[in-house]
Amino acid sequence: METKVGRDVLAPQPARLVARGFRLTPVLMVLPAVVVLLAITVFPLVFTLRLTVMSWELTTGFPPQFVRLQNFARAFFQDPRFWNAMMNTGILAVVGVGLQTLIGMGLALELHQLGRLRTFVLSLLLIPVMIAPVIAGFQFRMIYNDQFGPLNYLLDRFTGGRFHGYAWLADPRVALGAVMFTDVWQWTPFMTLVVLAGLQAIPAELLEAAEVDGATGPQTLRRVMLPLLLPVIVIGVLVRFMDTFKLFDIVYQLTAGGPGNVTETIAYYTYLEGFKFFSLGYTSALAFIQLAVITVVAQVFLRYQKRVRAGMAT
Amino acid sequence: MRRRPPGRQLLTSVILIAALAVFLFPVAWMFLTSFKSNPEFFAYPPVFIPKSFALTNYVNAMRFPPDGRGGIQGVRDSLIIAVGSMVASVLVGVPAAYSFARFRTGGENLSFWVLSTRMFPPVASALPLFLVFKVLHLLDTHWALILANTIFNLPFVIWLLKGFFEDLPVELEEAAVIDGTTIFGAFRRIALPLVGPGLVVTALFSFIFTWNEFMFALLFTRRDVRTLTIIVPSLVGGHEILWGQVAAVGVVAIIPNVLLALLLQRFLVRGLTLGAVKG
Amino acid sequence: MQAPRELHVIKWDFPPKFGNVTVNVVGDAGHNLAPYEFWKDHFPKAGITIKIIEVPFEGVYEKEKTEFVAGSGAFDVVTFYPAYVGDFASNGYLEPLDEYMKKQPDSVWNPRQEDVLPPFRELYNKWAGKTYALTIDGDAHLLIYRKDLFTNAAEKAAFKAKYGKELMPPETWEDWLQIGAFFTRKKGEKLAGQTLERDFYGSAEFAKRGFSFAWFVDRWAASGDLYFDENMKPQINSPAAVKALQNFVDSLKNAPPDVRGYGYDELRDALLKGSVAMVVQWTDVPKKGANPAESQVVGKLDYGRVPGWRIGGKVVHRAMMPVGRVVAVASSSKNKLAAYWVAKHIAYDMSLEDVSTAFTGLDVNRGVHFSHPEAYVDFKSKAEAAAYLDRVKEALGDGYPEIFIPGAAQYEDALDLHVNKALAGQETPKQALDAVAQEWNAITDRLGRQKQIDLWHQALMSYKVAGLIK
Repeated sequence: METKVGRDVLAPQPARLVARGFRLTPVLMVLPAVVVLLAITVFPLVFTLRLTVMSWELTTGFPPQFVRLQNFARAFFQDPRFWNAMMNTGILAVVGVGLQTLIGMGLALELHQLGRLRTFVLSLLLIPVMIAPVIAGFQFRMIYNDQFGPLNYLLDRFTGGRFHGYAWLADPRVALGAVMFTDVWQWTPFMTLVVLAGLQAIPAELLEAAEVDGATGPQTLRRVMLPLLLPVIVIGVLVRFMDTFKLFDIVYQLTAGGPGNVTETIAYYTYLEGFKFFSLGYTSALAFIQLAVITVVAQVFLRYQKRVRAGMAT
Repeated sequence: MRRRPPGRQLLTSVILIAALAVFLFPVAWMFLTSFKSNPEFFAYPPVFIPKSFALTNYVNAMRFPPDGRGGIQGVRDSLIIAVGSMVASVLVGVPAAYSFARFRTGGENLSFWVLSTRMFPPVASALPLFLVFKVLHLLDTHWALILANTIFNLPFVIWLLKGFFEDLPVELEEAAVIDGTTIFGAFRRIALPLVGPGLVVTALFSFIFTWNEFMFALLFTRRDVRTLTIIVPSLVGGHEILWGQVAAVGVVAIIPNVLLALLLQRFLVRGLTLGAVKG
Repeated sequence: MQAPRELHVIKWDFPPKFGNVTVNVVGDAGHNLAPYEFWKDHFPKAGITIKIIEVPFEGVYEKEKTEFVAGSGAFDVVTFYPAYVGDFASNGYLEPLDEYMKKQPDSVWNPRQEDVLPPFRELYNKWAGKTYALTIDGDAHLLIYRKDLFTNAAEKAAFKAKYGKELMPPETWEDWLQIGAFFTRKKGEKLAGQTLERDFYGSAEFAKRGFSFAWFVDRWAASGDLYFDENMKPQINSPAAVKALQNFVDSLKNAPPDVRGYGYDELRDALLKGSVAMVVQWTDVPKKGANPAESQVVGKLDYGRVPGWRIGGKVVHRAMMPVGRVVAVASSSKNKLAAYWVAKHIAYDMSLEDVSTAFTGLDVNRGVHFSHPEAYVDFKSKAEAAAYLDRVKEALGDGYPEIFIPGAAQYEDALDLHVNKALAGQETPKQALDAVAQEWNAITDRLGRQKQIDLWHQALMSYKVAGLIK
């Protein structure tokens, strides 16, 4: 029997096992996970859902009051800070994750060429991911320091004193970039690992066949490798995209959302509303808006991934 | 594999060395800072090599109050919680992933619901979870954080493993089932070993995510449980930041992750590939 | 660190022994909790076991409020920043202390609140006329400057030649700008007879997001305005306020280029590493300034009142009292009496020893703290300590509070956001403050306008007793 290999066998629907009739085992295998998740998440979800249509300011001690859709109206029409935070997060998500993916892919391609050294170098590259974002924030606070930090000092030295470097955390023009750079620094190795794994799964025969056909390096990359890598990249990008919406620790440490609010992310703003202002109704509304946005984006990504998989089976 | 011209190989080396320099510079900075003392933290020109490599900051950070900041407790508690959540998520998540991959149990909706629980902003679920844990008397215990982190780790494990199972050729399991093995048997004896390496990598990342978690740790603990991520902000007083000790805790915090990764080095990248199953 | 020597200046006595009671103390992590360690032998003698729960400095409000809201009863003694006193007291989380303070005998129970400086006692310890908290850390702002530069003959001559008046530490905020510009020099120029190896700046500020509003209030409070009028109408965008914010924005020209990222550490280091001529900052900085391990300007610092404005022929000074710490007893505590004694012991009995050293980060807040300069061992001489204390006492007389009614966090955050935007050049001072006024009204409406008006009236009572309004 000819055995199909990895990506060769990708059908529009991944193959099912023994599709006829109802079997108890699969249900039992799913049950513990569903029960656990349900148990932990159902109360917070219901609690917050109810609060989205209420106003409950814990600073005043009034009981919650029903306000219909006022919280949503406030977010969309009366709160420029909400839009600012969404935009900042959007930039971090699109540009930041984009950079992580491009650089991650580039590094993966280079690493793929390495022989025995590969896992060693990869292990070293993974260290940034292992550092708690809170702690990474502290280090970068020192590194970005304008007067005493090593970054500007090295920039000064290497350009012979011509370029001193910006006040990375204090200049409103570059602060968001500084936050983004820290995030990209920390997570690019994650994308590298994801892409590298995808690369490893590409059967050598396909690459050899391309070479025999006379394809150049870049052509092989574009026509053969990229399409096969796409499903893997999509999952990586989706996870990073979701996590960018949770970006809080670095902002908390580096800038507290400033100067002004050029680095205020939606996670930071929601935190302020929830745990500094204790405006529980508004916080819940903000949470559900974020959930909706991420859900829509996730759906788009997943449908795209399915289409790509279907395309590859032809 | 096509033989590469030496020029191209040189370029690869240059690129990777540059990458290592960029990615490891902050790590090296943290390592060096952990040995510094006042006034070396903010000096001009910046101090790259501390004047002494004494372990003062480590000792001060690790010892219990009042002599130190209690970093040892942080290591212990973070370890318990990260291992606990990782194990729980894997034990419960892997069978679920198999079920979704091979049987599409619950259709698209159930598996998407599982993923969506990870999308809910933790900031919003923190207060209701606090109330739940208070009622269950789980505050300031490891269980609260193990459970809370499972909200993120379980969907992650399920979705990643689902992908790996889907990439496995189905013929082997089909053959086994036709021969009379149960579904669970096929899962345990055939599919599981083949995704073993991928599973290990997923487990590593869920360990890392839990180890680095901050917000829930801040709210659900008081005194009996203190994770490393909480110890670090406590080194920031109103009027003083103990930069050296922060760096020391940072270095100590990486060690279990690095050890775990090195241990799994063999599986690390081979891990996510399933290789060709030659007949 | 070794406990400071017990001075026995303040007379106190042990209470009748409690029956092996545990008191849970929550406070922000760091050396300010050191007193519990210094005096750890005292508590067992009273039959009390202390358990400390540390919270990160930034997380105090959310942690304590969450536990209070959930009614968890986890804390007996709570340490917090007095801006929250209105929120915690009016929501019933704190135990009123007046009855405890009156218990006999005096030497055991009386914390002698009459000795606490009026701004702290009236504005930060009381709510609606009752005492709910005791001050342990009296933060206030002070002008700190390089006296070696101000007394240098060459500099004095140059200043006189340029501006036609004597070089003196700034009395008004206009002086601040002038002197700041005067001392801002580039690398290679001369300063006090020496050639500069690096750029030097006339002044620096805390311009980082989070607390920059306090430096704005320093410039605004002397105008006599309060945050709101009796009807909760914001006064924050008055012409005096706009002028104050404009002054703040202008001051950045005389500051290091990364000043917009300056928090407490950066601001203090700018002065102590010799990069700036003057700062306005907390009263504990001079103690560090006298320490050669942290300061390159030992012996070169002098202190004065925060600049003010010339109003009706006189200069009115006001100094912001940001942060600070108070201790209180949780109303959900199961050991209120023991908790009260612990709080009183730290806030009064041992307070002189605790504020005398820079190690704890706790600052002077009582009359008795000022009359014993010999206790301040960080300073090289008793005279130096005495000079410091005199200035601090003057400065504290100008004390002006943070907003401390419920909603303080929201009001202050809105103010800080727009002040910060003005500093970043994204809004003009007028636009910024008008936006603040608008947001403050929205916050007041969301929290319930009538209730906020009532709460503000209660706060105004405290302002009157403290002498801030007639």
